[in-house]
Amino acid sequence: MKKLLTCLLVLVLAFSLFASGAEEKSNDGPIKIGSIMDLTGGASNMGRPHSWGVEYAIKKVNEAGGINGRQIELYTQDCKNDITEGLNAYHKLVDEIGVCAIIGPALSNPASAWVDLSAEDKIPIVGHFMDEVCTTNPDTGAVYPYMFLAEPSCSVQSYDMAAYALAELGLKKYAVLYNPSNAFAKAHAEPFIAYVKENGGEVTAVETMGWADRDYSAQAIKITNSGAEAVFLCDYLAQNLISYDALRDAGFKGAILGANTLAPPLADQVKNDVYDVYFLQNYDMLNPNVGIINELVFSEMAATGTESPQCNVGFAWDAVQVLVEAMKKAKDPTDGEEVAKLLEQTTGVLLSSGDTISIDPATHRPNNMGMYIATYDENHNMVICGREDIY
Amino acid sequence: MFLQLLFNGISLGAVYALIAVGFAIVFSVLKFSNFAHGGMISICAYIGFFFQKTVKPTPPIWVTILFTSLCGIVMSLFLDRIVYASIRRNKSPKNYYFLSSLTISIIITAILNVFFSKNPLAYPMLFSSTTFNVGNIRISRMDTMILIVSVVLLVLLIFLIDKTKVGLAMRAVSIDPETSKLMGINSNFIILMTFSLAGILAGVSGVLLGCKYGVFPDLGQSMMIKGFIASVIGGLGSLGGAIAAAFLLGIIEMFWTYVMGSLSTPVMTFVVMLLFLFIRPQGISGRFAKEKV
Repeated sequence: MKKLLTCLLVLVLAFSLFASGAEEKSNDGPIKIGSIMDLTGGASNMGRPHSWGVEYAIKKVNEAGGINGRQIELYTQDCKNDITEGLNAYHKLVDEIGVCAIIGPALSNPASAWVDLSAEDKIPIVGHFMDEVCTTNPDTGAVYPYMFLAEPSCSVQSYDMAAYALAELGLKKYAVLYNPSNAFAKAHAEPFIAYVKENGGEVTAVETMGWADRDYSAQAIKITNSGAEAVFLCDYLAQNLISYDALRDAGFKGAILGANTLAPPLADQVKNDVYDVYFLQNYDMLNPNVGIINELVFSEMAATGTESPQCNVGFAWDAVQVLVEAMKKAKDPTDGEEVAKLLEQTTGVLLSSGDTISIDPATHRPNNMGMYIATYDENHNMVICGREDIY
Repeated sequence: MFLQLLFNGISLGAVYALIAVGFAIVFSVLKFSNFAHGGMISICAYIGFFFQKTVKPTPPIWVTILFTSLCGIVMSLFLDRIVYASIRRNKSPKNYYFLSSLTISIIITAILNVFFSKNPLAYPMLFSSTTFNVGNIRISRMDTMILIVSVVLLVLLIFLIDKTKVGLAMRAVSIDPETSKLMGINSNFIILMTFSLAGILAGVSGVLLGCKYGVFPDLGQSMMIKGFIASVIGGLGSLGGAIAAAFLLGIIEMFWTYVMGSLSTPVMTFVVMLLFLFIRPQGISGRFAKEKV
């Protein structure tokens, strides 16, 4: 009797394993894709529009027939801009839900923890984690096989900003104020400093702050006294607001340069007058005549009540297009290994900006994307004032 | 330069003093470190922000401070009723107070995170020009306002505690609540009074910190650490000591950050606190509190 029961149990287990395997390898069922975004953490002002953009882009893909006739099922997790939460979100999507690919956030801190996991599980992750350590090993330069960036990296963006300031604004003396514990900020600040030094500029002060600091007036006074003509800010909105006001309160009259986190709503939230602010932008998003970015950001604002246009909606759209194009070319779009190989060959995929993206197989980062430089007019509207095309 | 940093340090000290006193006043009577005060500051910052945003025409800042102070009293008394009162009734160990206050603080921050996320919100601009000059020193109007409000409030508080009957009763309860009761002091009323004062301080701090740094869920909690350090250096439970230590901490921090950079500043502040605990555990005030952390 015991033997019979054991045999039956083995048969049931074998059948269930076969059945579940058959379901995963099914060629006509929906394709499960994950999305990990910061929905409630320190960068949720960007994460929420980003998440909306992923849902919107997937909806459009499904309306257009999905991936070779197969619909996409989207599963979203909140990483709260935290490494541990990011790992939990990854395991939930991959181990419990069984997604075959992930759209990642515009955050390098959580994404950097997935580089080995994604290789073990063969899960392609396409995202906007701009720190280069998320796509290539900083020690060896070797590419992480399943991590793909769909916008210029922090280094490239910082080079673009520095190049614009040196050539177009004619500024020579720079200071940097940033939080070295913030991967996003660090990945911007160091390349900016290096580029300025290598191209005839002078760095007069490099000042730092910590996550818990709320008063930057000592740093601002030091920067002001250093004779800097411009200060580069590259943290998140909360830190940028305090930095901007501290610098202006300290009497700094020069230009404030920065990452795309100086974009709206910064101008409406600082307490000092807004002038000579130049920051990076991926899109000319207020221009309705280029791509579909303008339509995307205003759709998101209308749908969610967001008060200022957020470029992350475009990031989401672009990442989905890159992933979907690779999946469409794959014999089995749920085969992570095959999709990753195809992602390496990405070329000419149309983005929300109206431009196309090509991914360098040696870095898994774009090799044909430049950046816009934006500023604020007297009414605090964002205005594109230049473009740099350093790849 | 020296005077500029000194003024900025004093301004920063005023911020710390407001927080430290809200912390110290509860410790002085109930002998526990009320970490929930940080959460209360954050809630008050949000209340003030929405009060300013929704009431039309936009009320003056002093009306907002008054309103949030009233809200602070109500919330503080509510907190006492639902959390601390039962601990008192059951004569539970002091650790229960500490753990409860820490838990409440975490819960408040988490709830604010859920509803508002960590995105900063900005109070409407209070001044058309943010700074003015006195000689070569640039003085922030916001800092000046915080300094003036803090000093006035702290002077009133010290007057209340040192020169009035209620203050005398508070001091008596802080020394021995049971004996105070035998001498006719309504110690429950005094405890409610203490929480009300802490609520007022949370209301004022919330609005002022919100105006200065923006409003976000861990606004109060992040500043609370500095308030706690000032409170320890000053001598836990001593209002005068906490105020003196807060200003000292603000000034030292400003000069240290300028000379050594900000990354070592937290190390320096904690080392100073530890040194005080080792060398002079009674703090600046010289009043010894056995229940030091």
